[in-house]
Amino acid sequence: MASNKKYWKSVEELKDSSIVETLSKNEFVEEIPTDQFLGDKETLENTSTSRRDFLKYVGFTTAAASLAACEGPVRKSIPYVVKPNDVIPGVADWYATSMADGYDFANVLVKTREGRPIQIMPNKEANGTTSARVQAAVLSLYDEKLRLQNPTKGGEEISWADADKEIGAKLNELKEADQPVVLLTGTMASPSTSKIVDEFLATYPNVKHVVYDAVSESGAADAFEAMYGQRALPNYHLDKAKTIVSFGADFLGDFHGGFEKQYIDGRKPETGHMSYHVQVESNMSLTGANADKRIVAKPSDVVFALINLYKEITGVSVPSNATPIDAEIKQLAKELKKSGSKGVVMTGVNDINAQLISLAINRALGSEILGINNSLNIRQGSDEQVEKLVSDLKSGNVSGLITYNVDPIYTHANSSVFAEAIKSLALSVAISTENNETVNASTYALPASHFLESWGDTHFTQGNYGLMQPTIQPLFNTRQLQDVLLKWSGNDTKYYNYIKAFWSSEILKDASWNTALHNGFYTASVDTVVDNVVTPRDISISDVALLLKRSVNPSDFELNLYTKTGLGDGKQANNPWLQEFPDPITRASWDNYLTMSMADAKALGFSNPVKDNGAIDGDYAKVSVNGVSVTVPVMVQPGQAKGSVGLSLGYGRTFGLKEEMQVGVNAYPLYTNSNNIQYGVTIEKASGTHKFACTQVQKTIAGRHDILKVASLKEYKTVDPKDHHHGWNKPAYVSYDHNEVEANTIDLWDEHNREVGHHFNLSIDLTSCTGCGACVVACHAENNVPVVGKNEVRVGRDMHWLRIDRYYSSEVETREEAKELGLSRGETYEALETEAENPEVTFQPMMCQHCNHAPCETVCPVAATSHGRQGQNQMAYNRCVGTRYCANNCPYRVRRFNWFNYANNNEFDFNMNNEYGKMVLNPDVVVRSRGVMEKCSMCIQMTQATILKAKKEGRAVNTDEFETACSSACTTGAMVFGDVNNKKDEVAALAEDKRAYNVLDYLQTKPNVIYQVKIKNTNEA
Amino acid sequence: MSHYEAPIREPLVLGDKSYHDITEDIAKPIEGKANKNWYMAFYISLAAMLWGFGCIFYTVGTGIGVWGLSKNIGWAWDITNFVWWVGIGHAGTLISAVLLLFRQKWRMAINRSAEAMTIFAVFQAGLFPIIHMGRPWNGYWVLPIPNQFGSLWVNFNSPLLWDVFAISTYLSVSLVFWWTGLLPDFAMIRDRAVKPFQKKIYALLSFGWSGRAKDWQRFEEVSLVLAGLATPLVLSVHTIVSMDFATSINPGWHSTIFPPYFVAGAIFSGFAMVQTLLGIMRKVTNMEEYITRLHVEYMNIVIILTGGIVAVAYATEFFIAWYTGSPYENYTYLSVGAATGPYAWAFYSLLFFNILTPQLLWFKKIRRSFIWSFIISIFINIGMWFERFDIIAIVLSKGHLPSTWWRFEPTFVDVGIFIGTIGFFFVLFLLYARTFPVIAQAEVKTILKSSGEFYKKRREQGIPTKPAINVVATEGTSDKKDKE
Repeated sequence: MASNKKYWKSVEELKDSSIVETLSKNEFVEEIPTDQFLGDKETLENTSTSRRDFLKYVGFTTAAASLAACEGPVRKSIPYVVKPNDVIPGVADWYATSMADGYDFANVLVKTREGRPIQIMPNKEANGTTSARVQAAVLSLYDEKLRLQNPTKGGEEISWADADKEIGAKLNELKEADQPVVLLTGTMASPSTSKIVDEFLATYPNVKHVVYDAVSESGAADAFEAMYGQRALPNYHLDKAKTIVSFGADFLGDFHGGFEKQYIDGRKPETGHMSYHVQVESNMSLTGANADKRIVAKPSDVVFALINLYKEITGVSVPSNATPIDAEIKQLAKELKKSGSKGVVMTGVNDINAQLISLAINRALGSEILGINNSLNIRQGSDEQVEKLVSDLKSGNVSGLITYNVDPIYTHANSSVFAEAIKSLALSVAISTENNETVNASTYALPASHFLESWGDTHFTQGNYGLMQPTIQPLFNTRQLQDVLLKWSGNDTKYYNYIKAFWSSEILKDASWNTALHNGFYTASVDTVVDNVVTPRDISISDVALLLKRSVNPSDFELNLYTKTGLGDGKQANNPWLQEFPDPITRASWDNYLTMSMADAKALGFSNPVKDNGAIDGDYAKVSVNGVSVTVPVMVQPGQAKGSVGLSLGYGRTFGLKEEMQVGVNAYPLYTNSNNIQYGVTIEKASGTHKFACTQVQKTIAGRHDILKVASLKEYKTVDPKDHHHGWNKPAYVSYDHNEVEANTIDLWDEHNREVGHHFNLSIDLTSCTGCGACVVACHAENNVPVVGKNEVRVGRDMHWLRIDRYYSSEVETREEAKELGLSRGETYEALETEAENPEVTFQPMMCQHCNHAPCETVCPVAATSHGRQGQNQMAYNRCVGTRYCANNCPYRVRRFNWFNYANNNEFDFNMNNEYGKMVLNPDVVVRSRGVMEKCSMCIQMTQATILKAKKEGRAVNTDEFETACSSACTTGAMVFGDVNNKKDEVAALAEDKRAYNVLDYLQTKPNVIYQVKIKNTNEA
Repeated sequence: MSHYEAPIREPLVLGDKSYHDITEDIAKPIEGKANKNWYMAFYISLAAMLWGFGCIFYTVGTGIGVWGLSKNIGWAWDITNFVWWVGIGHAGTLISAVLLLFRQKWRMAINRSAEAMTIFAVFQAGLFPIIHMGRPWNGYWVLPIPNQFGSLWVNFNSPLLWDVFAISTYLSVSLVFWWTGLLPDFAMIRDRAVKPFQKKIYALLSFGWSGRAKDWQRFEEVSLVLAGLATPLVLSVHTIVSMDFATSINPGWHSTIFPPYFVAGAIFSGFAMVQTLLGIMRKVTNMEEYITRLHVEYMNIVIILTGGIVAVAYATEFFIAWYTGSPYENYTYLSVGAATGPYAWAFYSLLFFNILTPQLLWFKKIRRSFIWSFIISIFINIGMWFERFDIIAIVLSKGHLPSTWWRFEPTFVDVGIFIGTIGFFFVLFLLYARTFPVIAQAEVKTILKSSGEFYKKRREQGIPTKPAINVVATEGTSDKKDKE
């Protein structure tokens, strides 16, 4: 914008510019008398500044100038000028809220420090549970790389006001022209949002709302609707179950709704009630790993077996095929019938017919376990509607697409349709917290607030409501979906006011908003729930079975797509904690892979050799399904059904991700029709070697059964645990004075009196541990454990303070067995070290055992690690010189060395290398520098805070008040932490339990971590 | 008959030597110019040393992560090299102290170089405990010195701390012992030096040795006292080094046999290294007449003896691992597990180099052969390196919990530092060979008349053993020494 205005300094300049011009050419108006100065020799000679002096001045000024330049970089820390009322520096605030990102749904508590959310824990009052992903979601909040920060239009920043105006105009235009627009969202399970969406749809009748789940459970919802008239997922009250039969339903691993707590509640050997869990599956899932019995079958056989079970239970003949596992299914049917209403069947096959059969079996059993009245709302996506959208997009029947937190271009099998169609749409808007391909392809990219920055409500199961509240001001220029839609609908109410009014009128009735907000949840009174009771419709199972049978197309290789415990559907693929989180089954991090049975791998020539640096390699396979092929590395998986392969979704995402996170292979292109089972798979060996990053290489316990004790329920009930021959929890014996005595009766040292003050113990119940790994991520968050990246994990340098060891059983379990088989010594070792083809799986969380006779403490030359009065083995980072002797002398190998600087180091560009990522750091725990050893501290910052809190309140520490990050994250109650000197603490009784044992007790390290023998209900059948 | 020695004994000094000849022979490498071979060897060693220093700077600047270690294997080449070099450093003191107390005259030709080797090897060894630390700049914290860290004291329970004391004591006593022996020889060089600068340096180094009777008396007394002091050190150093392992709880390390076994192994490897070095040196510096077949044979006998002890220790370890019946002992470095596991090659290397090859020395022909001794000594050096590598890497690779089983692969930095220390060692040794009297000439002169070939022959022939040429003892020798 050129201006004609003239600015002037003097009247002369204004009127006659010639003099000004002349003057401006002379820098010095008067002549400088240099001649006079330099010519005056006499004065010059008399000056006292000698050459020496001159050099001195030059020297001084140079030195001063360079010194001034040497100032270190200034980092400003600004104190509160006016302290906010509810923020006390150093004291954490906890907020009850809910997580709902379209894939993970949980009632959670959020810990904030100085206004920053730093940890997510389950809201146990609301029966909330957390998985590794929920725990890690707090880091995704600070993902400055992937999160959208400002509204953009075609890549150019625009203001929200402009975006509202333009999009509003466009919407009205399309409305006038009656052009169809689709609002594509994931499952939100939010009553108020549903209402807002409805209002939006009412304002723009041309808009249609389609719910799209990247990993679909549409079949289950459709089946439930068909039978019970309500579109939701069936709920299962596993705590009351006597027999659980799952046909490929990974209800522990594929976390939705937190079945693990109820499942484990139904498996407490002390109470005498322990469900019998049989898993029929082809992939080795987390659920299968926990099952009492695992029946391995190809996906097609799993489906047929489900039909055959129906036949066996009802005696009705329906179309099916014979399977190799029919005998076992017969046995199962007997078992289920015996359990009657306490039996339950579920299936993970995303097919309405398979789900209907499963529901029909449960009906035939009269199962009380199947919860019809409080079905789950957390997967509302409909494959049918999404397919319709795809065909509409193809045919050009859609003019506008508004997406919210979905990325069909990445997650849909027909992603090209989306990618192509979106370009030619009249209106394409992506409202999203994170950048992705769909956002990139859309004209408008509107940044949505993270759930930790948002208001909201949830309705996960019928009658159980939850509230979501912001725990931090929006980090970026974001808005939440509800506010956006309200605005577009012409409603100027803020969503906060809206939701408050909505809850008061629709949900709370008489209860107080403040209480509900404080608790984070609200349970509707019983009568509202009773209203939902429905009568099941009768469906011809024979027809269903025929349809199902026709849909199955048995082939040489069948692919079972699944989601990994760490990454799920891939929403949080840019989260370094989750990428580094080792898969509970394969213990591989930073990767997905084709799981293949040992027999198939041998036949096709695939193997996972262990390299000299300890790492595992793999061969590539070209997997082709329906004309789509991908090249993936192969992981030989014990327990994988022969003729089946597994591949996890959620990997191979590249757009917008940090380079380090662009790992794995995208399996969504194979996810045709959202069917997790794909038939007609061909596998060819491809060239190249893949480098895996596994945290554990040896798969079996190698005959060392005092590390991992497992007993059957029958043994637990009838056999004396210390019995010399058959005991299932025999203590270690040593020879003393030529007598065999229990190892713990003799001691080299004089014991300190440990009765004084607190003495902390951590009990880990191997029966209750499902291996879900929520504790691993909780420990990451609480203790600022660094992420080291794929290459470092590969060579065995992961920094996890808490790991979950996974052991497979071998065909030959003990040396005695080997002797009976007549194996030589070398053969015995090989037999003990080689995992079985279809092994039993046991998980063992392992962290610093806080030995009272700690081997690490005696060997440190500088006394950097020593024993605390409260039983902890403490690590003084400042004192450590890094000899690593302690780590070598630790029989549990739980000490972790800082091989490099992991913070502020571009080589390790994870959350500790940028200002946003660092906001998640726990200020109570120091970030370790390179060259020092670190390890589990038993969350000493938490126990000290508890002690100080009690002291300030002038009381004794309450019973069970002490907690660690892992024990609070553990929803099944496998980890119990407390003070054994307080006899009322739960852990005090557990320490004395007949199941209690110490790992490697023959060493007499006297750990403060106690394990409870794993009890399996294997005798039931 | 002060010079009498049984004629059946082989002479220790060959040829028709006079005292002056000895002086000339010993002074020649120092006073003369170095040949091409020396320069070549020196530059190669220097290059290796600089490469190693580069790797050390890289490690200290970046982090221990540049090595091949992992969460489960916290030590590998670093401590292997440390123990290997300490072990090599054992022969020197044994030769100079223990053999002195046992009045073994054959030690006189080799003790100077053996001690030099000891000191240079201990330098290399001492490097590793420092650079293997995560924060070497805080390495001085392992010293029990008064400090301002809230008067933090060291942990006297830790074998690593004992190492600090043992090695530093050993180094200082060895150094003093070595220097004491060098005084008369430095004086000899000083007296012969013509260049003023050289004279000045050697004058300083010889601490003003004058060759008076009092000097000799004190020299003898100090030597004896130091020998007495150093003898227990021969046993203590490697005993304590072995306790780094023996007092820990790793199966395969936790073994009461370690102290004697390590000491034997150290002497074994030390003598092998002396054999290697002298095999080269006697040729390069023309000392063939002082370091004879007899010396080589004697050293080989020590090698057979200590090698035998080591072999018995291996067998015991193997037996005990089996005999315990404990599944945790299945994979110790000497077990069926090791023989069949991924480190089988290291296991068999150990057996081949350390048990099989020394057995050749039972044959007199081989034992007295320079070239065979040289080859076998190198084999033993390799074998002893493998012993330490096996003990550390195999044991750590199969810890208590199978979930922690891992493997170790060295990086170029691991290799670079090891090669660097070898380079550093040879740089020091080559410089030593050009500037120090490599044979304790003063001592050798004392046995010339009793054990010299020339005199022995004359005695046999009945010719009086008066020296053919009279040499006035001005070059730091004394006839007093002959009285035994």
